[in-house]
Amino acid sequence: MKLLKVENVSMIFGGLTAVKEFNLELNQGEIVALIGPNGAGKTTAFNVITGVYTPTIGHISYKGKEITGQRPDQITKLGIARTFQNIRLFKELSVLDNVLIANHLHLKSNFLEATFKLPRYRREEKEILEKSLNLLEKVGLQDAQGEKASSLPYGKQRRLEIARALATNPAILLLDEPAAGMNPKETDDLTEFIRQIRDEFQLSIFMIEHHMQVVMGISDRICVFDYGVTIAEGNPYEIQNNQKVIEAYLGVAEDYA
Amino acid sequence: MKQKKTLLTVITIFVLFALVYLADQTLDPYKMRILNLCAIYVVLGLSMNLINGFTGLFSLGHAGFMAVGAYTTAILTMPDVVKGQNFFMAPMMKPLDTAHVPFFLALLISGILAGVVGYLIGAPALRLRGDYLAIATLGFAEIIRVVFTNMQSVTNGALGLKGIPVSANIWWTFGVALVTVLVIGSLINSSYGRAFKAIREDEIAAESMGINLFKHKVLAFTIGAFFAGIGGGLLGSLLGTIDPLMFRFFLTFNVLLIIILGGMGSITGTIISAFIITIGGELLRFLDESMTIGNLVIPGISGMRMVVFSALLMIVVLFFNRGIMGTKELSWDSFFNKFSKKPLAKGGNKQ
Repeated sequence: MKLLKVENVSMIFGGLTAVKEFNLELNQGEIVALIGPNGAGKTTAFNVITGVYTPTIGHISYKGKEITGQRPDQITKLGIARTFQNIRLFKELSVLDNVLIANHLHLKSNFLEATFKLPRYRREEKEILEKSLNLLEKVGLQDAQGEKASSLPYGKQRRLEIARALATNPAILLLDEPAAGMNPKETDDLTEFIRQIRDEFQLSIFMIEHHMQVVMGISDRICVFDYGVTIAEGNPYEIQNNQKVIEAYLGVAEDYA
Repeated sequence: MKQKKTLLTVITIFVLFALVYLADQTLDPYKMRILNLCAIYVVLGLSMNLINGFTGLFSLGHAGFMAVGAYTTAILTMPDVVKGQNFFMAPMMKPLDTAHVPFFLALLISGILAGVVGYLIGAPALRLRGDYLAIATLGFAEIIRVVFTNMQSVTNGALGLKGIPVSANIWWTFGVALVTVLVIGSLINSSYGRAFKAIREDEIAAESMGINLFKHKVLAFTIGAFFAGIGGGLLGSLLGTIDPLMFRFFLTFNVLLIIILGGMGSITGTIISAFIITIGGELLRFLDESMTIGNLVIPGISGMRMVVFSALLMIVVLFFNRGIMGTKELSWDSFFNKFSKKPLAKGGNKQ
């Protein structure tokens, strides 16, 4: 089933075309990677999908429904969650609070019920707490729940960000450079972890990643961006042997003959 | 453990009210007035802290909401005869000239009206951020004041209202302060409070976690305005006389000082600093009078107290720039941990 469909999307800032005629189809359970040199417009593509920017041209639909132009919180509520390239946790709040906050969007009680701790709110709060503790355990942060989010080591902050995104009950998870700054051991763990959450939460994953070991290891398909243009799309093997991709990354060989 | 803490809290509240009773019996009217002001500033400080400290919206419109509350309470509680005496320039608008409700209801209506005004101001202004929001809310507060100055038949304009029945006593002020602490405390510790804090920490992340920024900002703003209105109503009733000049920016500034000194995002900090600033301001009054040190006679300079006060505040802001408490709270947990030799328990949320 096609979960997400991005059709012919362009994002133009003044004279700069950050993303040009971007097309993507994401199926249930798939892992798709978006790669490309720095400044190729990958994060802009993410921001367009998650509603941070409204695309200049083109349409995005989720489960057959048009979502172009909706606010980020509305899109998250529909089931598209994301993480950020430069980790955006609620730094001063506890690890547990970070995950609890991501449950707020599905809360049915209004603020009066919450303030006066009426039965429906108490029940919901209990469910939220259980679910959050469960998630923290799954990402291996159960021992750190009371700590300030900013005091966690880098790798754990990344995991917390993923746990937080998972708490919104997404069907699609967008990961913006999840392996950035990780050592080889952590990278291996992360690859395994992404696979694991995909299966457990029945997610489709769309990720930006520079780390080729991760990308080639888990992607079903790969999109390659260069200057906002999709220069190639295919399975890992095809991408590795694509002349255009090699040129984009390594430059064009000059003929000195 | 949780029950034990609830019991301790209840005992503390009882002890507090016993102290209030004792104060009521023994202290002179001047000291009682200061205590009353302390409690009112707790209400005002908490309402502003909800907006500025917990939700991170830099709003400077507090005096406006207080004006709405103070005038509402005054108009709804003043006897008809006094209203007649006040409104000699222009007769009071009907049916306000005979409108009457009990003090409690008047306070509640004050809060609701201030909340409505807060909502109407917040809906357009909260689309702005940071400094721009501060300027917009400051402007709106001034607009409210100017409108009140010119609504002769409703507010008696620049002449103000005199002879407001002094219904606010120490029980009212401390009672309302306690209710405010409990309600705002409970809101802050709920899922909505967490959403407010998330907005303060990182708006972009909060929005992509599905939090409707606008809805939650307006909610915090409206609830803050509600309590500011109640605080304003209490203040008017305590002083017995109000006029539009009372609600200038300086009043907002006073409340802002309290929350900055107490810690943006700390309820207990706000309570402590409301008392420190109100009592401290009075204690420093001797600086305005002439002093004799040995043979040296220093003539009294009025306003000296504010200079010293501001200097003290500057020191606080320079050296403890997150206020007394920062975003922390005094709680039974922190109290016990301080007095036991055991290391701090990890996972502070287990109760």
